[in-house]
Amino acid sequence: MATSMAAALAASIASAPSAHTAQAAAQPTYEPIPASMSKVIDIEAKIPLTCVQLDGLVVSKIVKHASSAPSFALGYLIGIDLDGVLEISNCFALPNVSDDDDTSSKSIAQYQKGMLAALKEVEPGDGIIVGFYQSNTLGAFYKQSLLDLQSIHRERLRHGGVVVVHDFTQASRGNAAFRAFRLTKQFHAEYRSGKFTTQSLMKNQLTFSSILEEIPVRVRTNPLLGAFLSTLTTPSSTTPASSFSPAAPSAALAPTFSSLDLAPQHMTSNLSNVLDALDEFKAEEGSLAYQMRNIVRDRNRANEHLLRRKEENALRVSQGLAPLPEEDIARLFKIQPEPSRLKSMLLLGQIDAYSQSLGSAASEGYVKMYSANAGNASA
Amino acid sequence: MSLGSSSSAIHIQTASNGATTSPTRTIQKVTIHPVALFSILDHFLRRKDTQDRVIGCLLGTRTETEIEVHSCFAALHGELSNSSEFWLEDNYINSMYELHHKVHPKEVIVGWYSTGSTLDTYSALVHDHFEKSKTAPHPAVHVALNTGTEEGSKPGIAAYLSSPVGVSRKEPNCIFVPVPCEFQYNDAERSGVDLLVNSLSAGTSITNSASNLEVLESSIQTVMEMLDRVLAYVRSVIAGETKGDPSIGRYLLDTFSISTEGLDQGSFASTLQDTLMVSYLANLVRAQAEVSSRLQLVSA
Repeated sequence: MATSMAAALAASIASAPSAHTAQAAAQPTYEPIPASMSKVIDIEAKIPLTCVQLDGLVVSKIVKHASSAPSFALGYLIGIDLDGVLEISNCFALPNVSDDDDTSSKSIAQYQKGMLAALKEVEPGDGIIVGFYQSNTLGAFYKQSLLDLQSIHRERLRHGGVVVVHDFTQASRGNAAFRAFRLTKQFHAEYRSGKFTTQSLMKNQLTFSSILEEIPVRVRTNPLLGAFLSTLTTPSSTTPASSFSPAAPSAALAPTFSSLDLAPQHMTSNLSNVLDALDEFKAEEGSLAYQMRNIVRDRNRANEHLLRRKEENALRVSQGLAPLPEEDIARLFKIQPEPSRLKSMLLLGQIDAYSQSLGSAASEGYVKMYSANAGNASA
Repeated sequence: MSLGSSSSAIHIQTASNGATTSPTRTIQKVTIHPVALFSILDHFLRRKDTQDRVIGCLLGTRTETEIEVHSCFAALHGELSNSSEFWLEDNYINSMYELHHKVHPKEVIVGWYSTGSTLDTYSALVHDHFEKSKTAPHPAVHVALNTGTEEGSKPGIAAYLSSPVGVSRKEPNCIFVPVPCEFQYNDAERSGVDLLVNSLSAGTSITNSASNLEVLESSIQTVMEMLDRVLAYVRSVIAGETKGDPSIGRYLLDTFSISTEGLDQGSFASTLQDTLMVSYLANLVRAQAEVSSRLQLVSA
């Protein structure tokens, strides 16, 4: 991995103006950089990410996978980081995980290896995994699995790895929405400690909105694809088909108005999603409160016991006897550790995301209704 | 949407040929999804300097008379410029297909693609190979994508089926029969293509993802432009400047006489109330969630 990354970087460095790399750029043939040097030469890792750039191919692949996958789609992003921009040039889908975890995770690892090797054979050059993509419905991407995946791969991926989230329901309404996120440092520190207690959350100032930080996304169409698309979208002149050329397009990409559909398609499912998430959150809060009450009760009992023991000891000391040990209190009263608040935090995030998409759907609803009404009145 | 020019070729196939024993009906249409198209273009862009064209494998579904190309992957191949040598890595195709099959179990190999619109002896050989070892007993389809990078050629796609020719059946002897080829997409794929088209018109080939309202705004703008155009046309016809076309007039009458009874005042008001309520609820829930998460931080 290290040497291949270094080789890929050697290719990228050629365009970066740097005094150190002038020599490397001058050589037309790239020699493999020794592993010991690769860390020093890896200047790209130090430039903070400002933007994620999706290639046109990646956009269409993710959309296709999201619309054909039975549940939610998950896949790897392949690309390279250059001057603060993470350029994602390709991606591949992961098979749906449904079987028992052990065998499927092994087969996925095998699949991933095979796919990477296969892609590298055709497209030499780039080919390192830089993150994941995931599809969701109605803005629900705060999932434990997503965070686990990101946290596990944080050390391995460059810049801690990004996740590109694609909302499938919005895409079917006419807006292909892509957003890129990565885990914040606070969350990662918290995740590694694995506590998520009130104290540690307060210390890190962690709420659901600071789990992930959003990175701006832009879409790039390569010139060849751009040229092809523009021939598709330009209305062809009405020349008859008599001029026989085997490959000339005769129709343009017709405009679509799916976003003008008046029926609020997902309003009800969106509403019920919000309500479900609220219910779940309430149940979680209830169980958290119950555990907290238990902990407080246990702690009070332990304190009482400790006080009594202290009084007893004072008495014993005054009587000239050896004091009883005070350490066994902790053993007598096993105080449960404070429950993790991660789940409730994620649920809050979920609620927020759902209601955000509900709000935006409602605001779109106004516009459509008033415009329809205006059209109706003037007709 | 059709991609290739409508050809005047008549599609004839002999039914009593010993080689085609299966009772398959003739394929009448090939549809291509955006992913396949974009992958081919990407593959072409990443070809080696020595390659004039790239070859790959098409995946999709088929019905009796139609082949739908959902996606594709690149194949390894090489040929010498003087056309004396040609090789195609078969193991690679098989292993790639296996990998692909894990994710999309419904998609099978339906044919192959190449860039450039020339059909030569090797095309026939490759086609024969695909038909025999990959898609049998079904016919394979060949999609030739002209990238438009050569001077004088227009970008476009053509699809072909092969038909045997000659007295004795030999591999290089076949006729490539053109089949109508269409570009197809569902709503979601369409919005992806729109995103790319918008990124083109932005000039720099780069855009941010727009919000829903922006997309809505742009489509309302388009509708308004169309209305203006129609209005200008109708006014000019009324003024007698242009001669009215009866078919356009009938079409306009049909379009504008669509009943809008569902939108009378009563239901409009009630739907408006519902929408307002939903919006209020959404904002309330968001505010509560935010307050709740902040309170967790301050309560000791």
